[in-house]
Amino acid sequence: MAAANPQISGGSGAADEEVARSLYAKTEKIYPREVHGLFARLRVLGVLGLLGIYYVMPWLQWDGQQALLLDLPARKFHIFFITLWPQDFIYLAALLIIAGLTLFFVTALAGRVWCGYACPQTVWTEAFLWIERKVEGDRMRQQKLDAQSMNVRKFGIKAAKHLLWGAFSAWTGFTFVGYFTPILELGHRMLTFNLGPWETFWVIFYGFATYGNAGWMREQVCKYMCPYARFQSAMFDKDTLIVSYIETRGEPRGSRKRSADPKALGLGDCIDCTMCVQVCPTGIDIRNGLQYECIACSACIDACDDVMERMGYEKGLIKYTTENTMEGKQSHIVRPRVVIYALILAGIMGMFAWSFTTRVALGLDVIRDRNQLYRETDEGQIENVYTLKILNMDAAAHRFRLKVSGIPGMQMKMDLPEIRVDSGDVLELPVRLQVDEDELKTRSTQITFDLVADDNPALSATEPARFLGPH
Amino acid sequence: MAEKRIPRSQKCIAVLWPSFLVAIIATGLFFSAFDPQDLYPFGKDTGVSRLGIYSIGFLCFWLISTISGIGTLYFAITNCMARDRENPGK
Repeated sequence: MAAANPQISGGSGAADEEVARSLYAKTEKIYPREVHGLFARLRVLGVLGLLGIYYVMPWLQWDGQQALLLDLPARKFHIFFITLWPQDFIYLAALLIIAGLTLFFVTALAGRVWCGYACPQTVWTEAFLWIERKVEGDRMRQQKLDAQSMNVRKFGIKAAKHLLWGAFSAWTGFTFVGYFTPILELGHRMLTFNLGPWETFWVIFYGFATYGNAGWMREQVCKYMCPYARFQSAMFDKDTLIVSYIETRGEPRGSRKRSADPKALGLGDCIDCTMCVQVCPTGIDIRNGLQYECIACSACIDACDDVMERMGYEKGLIKYTTENTMEGKQSHIVRPRVVIYALILAGIMGMFAWSFTTRVALGLDVIRDRNQLYRETDEGQIENVYTLKILNMDAAAHRFRLKVSGIPGMQMKMDLPEIRVDSGDVLELPVRLQVDEDELKTRSTQITFDLVADDNPALSATEPARFLGPH
Repeated sequence: MAEKRIPRSQKCIAVLWPSFLVAIIATGLFFSAFDPQDLYPFGKDTGVSRLGIYSIGFLCFWLISTISGIGTLYFAITNCMARDRENPGK
């Protein structure tokens, strides 16, 4: 990697200075030229698909409630038929780890496809660029407009763009909050101007973040803010798919007539039209080699292929390739790095699946009465009072049987005739335990509560507690 | 001149952005373990909704990690300045 990536792996002090300067140089606005071609179509497909999922998902209903609702106010996550509770946090953490490892795996295989096609930053920037083109016109018109001093027409165009961006961002912010609080109610409250203060705050916050990141910051997020962009080269090797200019074929570059024979002029296939630079959303020249700014969006491939076709040259002067292929060596898909990532990923996914499917959807907490250690009943027995919190995380309602063990002759008294808990409900159940004083050997005796569903013996929970007495 | 070479906007991003990410993680961990309605800060019932407590919690975590980030940036820059003074030629 070091040879191909001199800008980020210099090592020496002078190179560090160079990196620091390039990282912190004042940036000029980039006007990416619109591009058509195979990869542009793929990206549009990705953008439409992902934006579609994002904006439609919170409106989907499942079994009479929002299909995907990370209900923070109620401390429950509904994911279709699954309900996750705060104690299931570990599963979300595992999901994040799986997502991270998948990213590593894909990066080792195919480079930065995430950046080019699926990253929210890319997706929303594409959407904002599309709006910008519809309002301001193509690259040339945008540059011309920005060069003008402020006038009525310019102000009108800019105002229209920012208004559209603002509306799109606000809708994005509203949708975001709709993932965390039921969106139908949220929409109703918004239409009647009854949004809560924090809901309003988060709609504005997320909307503003969208507007800033996709409208203004764009490629700078990738260059200065994205941790993945900084360390992704660690996952690269000589067999990783990269977007590259084939220098041996292109150089020496130079303009020529379409009819001219490049060999006679001593030129390579690059006609130096700079289309690859104009379409680049991060404003780099791919012909300078692999650079950390490159998000592998392959806009330059589409642009160059188009030019090559018109010149009557073979396509692929800029293309997806690997370092090994460029050096004339064999490329390998299966290699230790890929195998190791795959094994770790498969292992964690397997563990996740196993532990999730064997998850017992029942929670039992035992809380001792804090006011009184113990009490003597009229019949001379020792009584302890507990509150049992029974959490039914299952999709169906259940009746439960409660048993307690640990002291001979222990009697259990409840106020409820039966223990029935609806799906997703917590039942607080006061329980009194009474024993003969003679049965107590020490001041504190360990006892055990056992809770089993009537209709499903696998749905059970056991929780220890202490029984206190006078000895 | 490290302190001049880095534009202010970049300094803001370098402090606010990582601390934002840390605040998300901290909020997730903290409120997975503690239900806002079980919390009585300074012995008082806040009367604020769960969403409000989550938000305030998140902002507090962000503030704390921002302070830490400012400290890191301050020491990094002053160390660079000291090095520049010792080696004025470079």
